[in-house]
Amino acid sequence: MQIADIFKLAYKALVDRKIRSVLTILGITVGSAIILALIASSSGLSAGITSNIEKTGANVLTLQTAGGFFESGSTTRYQLSQQDVDYLKTIPGVAYVYQYYSYGASVNSGGSALRATMVGIDLSALPVLYKGLSVAKGRIPLLGDTTSAIVGWGIANPVSGTPIDLNQMVSMSVTGISGSRGAVSYAVLATAILTQYGTSLFANIDDTIYISLQAAQFLSKTPYFSGIYVIVDNTDDVSNVQNTLTTYYGNNVRVISPGQILSSIQGITGQLTLFLGSIGAVSLFVATVGIVNTMYVSVMERTREIGILKALGYRPKQIMGLFLAEAALTGVIGAFCGIILGYVLSFLMGGLFSGFGGGGGFGFGGGGGRTATTTIQPVFSTELIVFSLVFPVILATMAGLYPAWRASRMNAVAALKYE
Amino acid sequence: MSSSAPAVQTVDVTKTYRVGHMDYPALRGVSMKIGKGEFVAIMGPSGSGKSTLLNVIGALDPPTSGRVIIDGINLRRLNEDQLALLRNRKLGFVYQSFNLIQRLTSLENVEMPLISRGLPENVRKSRSLKMLSAVGLARMAKKRPAELSGGEQQRVAIARALVTEPALIIADEPTGNLDSKTTRELVDQFVQVNKEFGTTILVVTHNAEIANRTQHIISLMDGLIEKEQYLQRIDSYSPG
Repeated sequence: MQIADIFKLAYKALVDRKIRSVLTILGITVGSAIILALIASSSGLSAGITSNIEKTGANVLTLQTAGGFFESGSTTRYQLSQQDVDYLKTIPGVAYVYQYYSYGASVNSGGSALRATMVGIDLSALPVLYKGLSVAKGRIPLLGDTTSAIVGWGIANPVSGTPIDLNQMVSMSVTGISGSRGAVSYAVLATAILTQYGTSLFANIDDTIYISLQAAQFLSKTPYFSGIYVIVDNTDDVSNVQNTLTTYYGNNVRVISPGQILSSIQGITGQLTLFLGSIGAVSLFVATVGIVNTMYVSVMERTREIGILKALGYRPKQIMGLFLAEAALTGVIGAFCGIILGYVLSFLMGGLFSGFGGGGGFGFGGGGGRTATTTIQPVFSTELIVFSLVFPVILATMAGLYPAWRASRMNAVAALKYE
Repeated sequence: MSSSAPAVQTVDVTKTYRVGHMDYPALRGVSMKIGKGEFVAIMGPSGSGKSTLLNVIGALDPPTSGRVIIDGINLRRLNEDQLALLRNRKLGFVYQSFNLIQRLTSLENVEMPLISRGLPENVRKSRSLKMLSAVGLARMAKKRPAELSGGEQQRVAIARALVTEPALIIADEPTGNLDSKTTRELVDQFVQVNKEFGTTILVVTHNAEIANRTQHIISLMDGLIEKEQYLQRIDSYSPG
């Protein structure tokens, strides 16, 4: 018997029971669509987060005092000072050390207030810290220029409020400066505006105003830094340097490595993908049970037909093949429809996920900023597509095994008498 | 007709069904020979073992004891696949209830035994169409069984049985569901097939009129051959 004939006969049998076949196929379609959509959008989420983190180079370690996440400037804890900077520079493998101040700020933008972060740092550090970050307009202030500032793209082009242009004064109130209870008013000259960059691991660059380290030191009236960036020469040395630092500081200072965070976040998103994938798998499993049921009923209903096939000289394996082909065909059609439905579904889900994925939720080091909403782009890997095509077909065929076997084992005489 | 081996030979065939704890003997030692090209009627009252004998000869049901030899092949020696192959190559079945597959057209129904052989579609179609023409149903090739009369359906079934060029056609009360006029036409059809293709035909019937048009009548009673009677030689037979 030829394969093409088997599938032709199987197709005719499916068409003969249209509604039932469509419902069975629908189960497979929905199941495989859910798997495809969930995995594609959670891979998209993972890719989005990963690209955010990767904006901070893997060779950058961040030191923050243990309490520094939310209360920079606390005096009861270990404080990072020039002494630490000097020490860090002596560690083998360390290329650069950039200490910084970071404060929450509210920028006065034509009457409305923009949530922003003000960071004081050696301004030449920015291209080293953030790959691909560049100046859109103006130029980076020279060392010792304490009145100029680099303004993030989001501050310069606010969603609501007045845009800030080059060489314009930016006035803001800075919060969290030690010794002053309320906000401190401060004004700088915008001599450079950054390109749109998005969210990095520790900062929402677009919503940050960078001033020189000296200006920040003067403003904050404290010798203690909010944190220190340590840039390691060779990425392979990052864990060595990290170990050295952890040993030296113990629990006093938190040493954050993007690579570590990346791997733990990838672990989480991997788990998420697995979890969502298994939800899809459960629905596909339910659909598979549906096939077993449909096929079983179909075999029982067609007992007489099976008897006829036996009388016509169909071998048990051929009869099994005919019913397996029906099950497999259900899977094939279901899988194809599932890919189309899943593709559409994944874009709807991408919108759903965007809320917690693409936004600036990870900018803890630099204080909260305006959340940049980016849409999660679902990721359809070749493996995923192949899997979505093959897996339902395998499941469906397996679902057909028992009913098909029952059909092939039927007693011909009894089957022919069956009413 | 070659007489090297009989078309059908049974030797002391018994068949016992077990119903609950009771053994029910359907056949109690049937020995008979049917020559090639014979048109044979098996008669007998209900429960005499006619259908059981047909199923045993048709390789659908193994005998409890005894031998069944079809065209020189001893069925006992065959496994399930070989039995299926034998049914496909050597046997054609015609049933009282036609047993056509309802969703398929006449042509597709006739094609079914050839599909199992793996013949290419064009060969299948032309052979099937030729056979439908032979039973006078070429016009009905595209029709489904539900659109045909009983007599037409049975002729499709005969075409399906003939398309494999079998050595033996086994018909189980083929006219049981047909009126007398159609019955007569159908018997004419059998007679014509028997003459034209030289096919051995074994027909179970209650109908004496049909039996009288065969050459060889085997009467069964309580699972045994009660009497056997040869009516006329094949070459002296004239239809009408």
